[in-house]
Amino acid sequence: MRKNLALLLVMVLVVSMFAGCAKKEDPEEVVIYQNKVEINDQLTAFAAAYEAETGVKVTVKTAGGDTPYADALKAEFQSDRQPDIFVIEGMGGYKVWESKLSTFEGDAWIDLTDLEFKVDGKVYGFPVAVEAWGMAYNVDLLAKAGVDPASLNSQEGYRAAFEKIDGMKDELGIDSVVAMAAGPDMRWVTGLHNFNGYLSAGLPYGDTTVLDKLLKGEADMQRLTEYADWVELLFQYADKSVLLTGNYDAQVGQYATQKSVFIHQGNWIDPWLVDNGVDFPMAFAPHASVKGTMDSIFIGAPSFYVINKDSKFSQAARDFLNYMATNVKGHEYMVNEAKMVPAFTNVTLKPSTPLSANVAEWVAKGKAYTWLQNDMPDNFGMGTIGPVYEGFAKGDLTKQEFIDQIAAKIAELK
Amino acid sequence: MKKQAKDKLVFWLFLAPALISFIVVVILPFFMGLYYSMTDWTAIAGVKPNWVGLNNYKSMFSNLAFQYSFIRTFIFTLISVISINLVSLTFAFLVTREIKFKNFYRAGFFVPNLIGGLVLGYIWQFIFKSVIPAIGGLFGINFLEELLLLADPTLTLFGLILAFTWQYAGYIMMIYVAALLNVPQELLEASEIDGANFWQKLWNITIPMIAQAFTITSFLTLVTSFKQYDIIVALTNGGPTDIYQGTVVNSTELLAMHIYNVAFKYNNMAEGQARAIIFFLVLSVVSIAQVYYNKKKEVEM
Amino acid sequence: MKSKKKFVKWSLTFITLLLFLITIFPFFIVVINSAKSSLEIITDPISFPQKWSQLFTNIKTIWTSPSVKYASSVYNSVIITVFSLIFISVFSAMAAWVLVRRKSRSSTIIFLIFISGLIIPFQVVMFPLVSLFRNIYEVSGVKMLRTLYGMIFTYIGFGAPLAVFMFHGFIKSIPFELEEAALIDGCSKPQIFFMIILPILKPIFVTISILNAIWIWNDFLLPSLILGIGQDVQTIPLAIAGFAGSFVKKWDLIMTAVLMAAAPIVVGFIIGQKHIIKGMVSGSIK
Repeated sequence: MRKNLALLLVMVLVVSMFAGCAKKEDPEEVVIYQNKVEINDQLTAFAAAYEAETGVKVTVKTAGGDTPYADALKAEFQSDRQPDIFVIEGMGGYKVWESKLSTFEGDAWIDLTDLEFKVDGKVYGFPVAVEAWGMAYNVDLLAKAGVDPASLNSQEGYRAAFEKIDGMKDELGIDSVVAMAAGPDMRWVTGLHNFNGYLSAGLPYGDTTVLDKLLKGEADMQRLTEYADWVELLFQYADKSVLLTGNYDAQVGQYATQKSVFIHQGNWIDPWLVDNGVDFPMAFAPHASVKGTMDSIFIGAPSFYVINKDSKFSQAARDFLNYMATNVKGHEYMVNEAKMVPAFTNVTLKPSTPLSANVAEWVAKGKAYTWLQNDMPDNFGMGTIGPVYEGFAKGDLTKQEFIDQIAAKIAELK
Repeated sequence: MKKQAKDKLVFWLFLAPALISFIVVVILPFFMGLYYSMTDWTAIAGVKPNWVGLNNYKSMFSNLAFQYSFIRTFIFTLISVISINLVSLTFAFLVTREIKFKNFYRAGFFVPNLIGGLVLGYIWQFIFKSVIPAIGGLFGINFLEELLLLADPTLTLFGLILAFTWQYAGYIMMIYVAALLNVPQELLEASEIDGANFWQKLWNITIPMIAQAFTITSFLTLVTSFKQYDIIVALTNGGPTDIYQGTVVNSTELLAMHIYNVAFKYNNMAEGQARAIIFFLVLSVVSIAQVYYNKKKEVEM
Repeated sequence: MKSKKKFVKWSLTFITLLLFLITIFPFFIVVINSAKSSLEIITDPISFPQKWSQLFTNIKTIWTSPSVKYASSVYNSVIITVFSLIFISVFSAMAAWVLVRRKSRSSTIIFLIFISGLIIPFQVVMFPLVSLFRNIYEVSGVKMLRTLYGMIFTYIGFGAPLAVFMFHGFIKSIPFELEEAALIDGCSKPQIFFMIILPILKPIFVTISILNAIWIWNDFLLPSLILGIGQDVQTIPLAIAGFAGSFVKKWDLIMTAVLMAAAPIVVGFIIGQKHIIKGMVSGSIK
């Protein structure tokens, strides 16, 4: 009896194993391969609702985690079912995937946004969302310290504010002024976001002169020197443990528990805050990445949905994206479910979470510095210069060495 | 004649499943890799690799990150082999003595080996980052509270060795237990009557009797340490940084990880493959030399 | 003299207990932290959780999250491990047997080829392997990547060298007379193998299966290349790596997931402990 049972079990397992390998004609199915772990569940639900309404199956696949998306996507294109929609992050991604992209033409959403991804006048990418970062601050603590947020617009203003707050640590109950992270897990904060200040702070929106020089292997030494002061200032007033070994949780956690006044992060931390019941008022101030007065925060579309040129279902994929941008259910998904700030002008819903709401205000004011960090060569930000920040944070490198190393890494891009 | 043909058929039929899968999965890719390492292979479908000779190999040795990774891998391997063998030998001695619940302890020491490298990497990252400072805070030990173990290249390497020893010592212990149980008790008792003390017994009887086990355990620990990847990915992800000859490098990006990163992160499949070949050569030479040396010792003992 | 012996015994017991506690300390940390929320973990990682019921909340979050697909990962891990174990052992035993019993130059060469597999590290073959599998698909339409059978096939290939080596050593010690007698009785060769040899190999089967089970159940790098993180077919380590996202590390859920990943194999080990340890000890002498 027991033998029969075991045999049966084995048979069932065998059958179930081979059930999946019979060759079928591919039914119409749009596979979207995306990189945001935090919206996977919401997007999956939205795709299911879309299928229920239109009959077109949309499968959401998500990569994140310790294999970064770019690696996973490379492996994905080596496999035998390539995605129909995938994600690129600006010019760097475009360079890698150029040969795989098709253009959008005449799609309704194109007229509804200014943030589409264009190369030589051709539209390649659908903006996933608007994101922004600046120096997010705790409104109550800042008021308690007697610092006027309006003064936070230059390196001098920040230096004065940081010094003052640092002297009131016990009164405010904080561990450090800024929640800043530069450890191995956090190179996207330093090598990409912070470094973007060097590329675009204080310049008109869309100005790429510094980036263009970088791509030719030239560093703007004056700017870089000023920028190093800003990095030094942030590191100096950060909590050492969060700075050197902290991960995302540790950094956001420090700010969320009101152990710091500022955090160097963007509006994507909203879901974390909401999940953990954090509800103190907060807002963004500009980064003083270089000398002079700054009036804007970094606003952009971090990533774009693009269509695989070899996709068998590219029309269905485009329809899906159009639906998301034009249908009110798409808006509900983007704003209310995924908690994103949509890049489309026809969206009337307002974000409810604190930092996203503040981003919407900055967008309305039109005060934005460009996102150029994703237009650097693949892996330059996190892989190449990210470790240099860590070396500086640990004190292995002096400020001058930090400047020299960054300049040397830029020169290698020639 | 007919029987011979049938025998031959049985021979190949029995051999086929294991041999075919082995050739497809290991042997073919090995030679493909050898070829690719001398081309500008990109792994993108439809792009034909061009022959570049030994260029990928030449560029490797002047590469600082590679040099550094090589040195660190050697240090990691050397200390791991020593620490794992010491710990597991201690475990094995203890659980073969007359103590209570020794089977329970045998199982207990083995349990960490059931945990995958990735999973235990996360556990230890959490211990090093959060638990140790919290313990320091609890007992008011400032040094521990402020210890940023994973910010220091040397301490991090030792942290990795600790986590790896924790995982692997229980497994190696089993081999030593097997060897120790094979040491004839009469011999030990006889020497005790002759007045030998603990250390004399250990040195003159036990160690020579388990020499064969030494060969196996050193081989296993050496090879496994050298190839370590899972634990590092989850525990340090290559960090923290260190300065090597004036350049910033990732201090725990050991060879296995370095190869992966060169190929996937920096998009140099061919260079990554060339480094993998060197990795293979070094590992083979070192491990064969070790086995040869130990076997010679075994005979002498 | 007697009291000294007693003292030695007690101190040994004490040292063993101490080492044992150090060994299980990390598990203790996992257990207490898997029942906390992420904020609770950050603020206090070493105290007992405020309420143990949080553990079930966390388990439910993981179990029902479509991004983790935990249930199907467990299923896939079981399928992959079980079938790989069976196929590696049976196929390798078959191969080892004919290699021992047929003395010819080809059998020596083939055995040496298998042995060479013992020293080829995975890193050397991983990039070309993925490439080769893709080519196989383009030529024949057989999907090796992203499928269970492709994964199992790969494990057979990587598991074969060690298994063949161990079976080879063991089979050599089985007297040939046994088979001769059966041959005279009119058994065919396959019959001899499956009726006579296979039962004798049982102890070595156990050892090889334990080693392979631990390896395959926990393996990360190989499935991350063959199956891919975030794909349809996920194993438990892939699911954990996928959601322990490097950008958003949720320690509460990671700890719970770690607990859920380790629990089945630890429980299995405790149940079969006696046999497993015996198998390990007897097998490792060879």
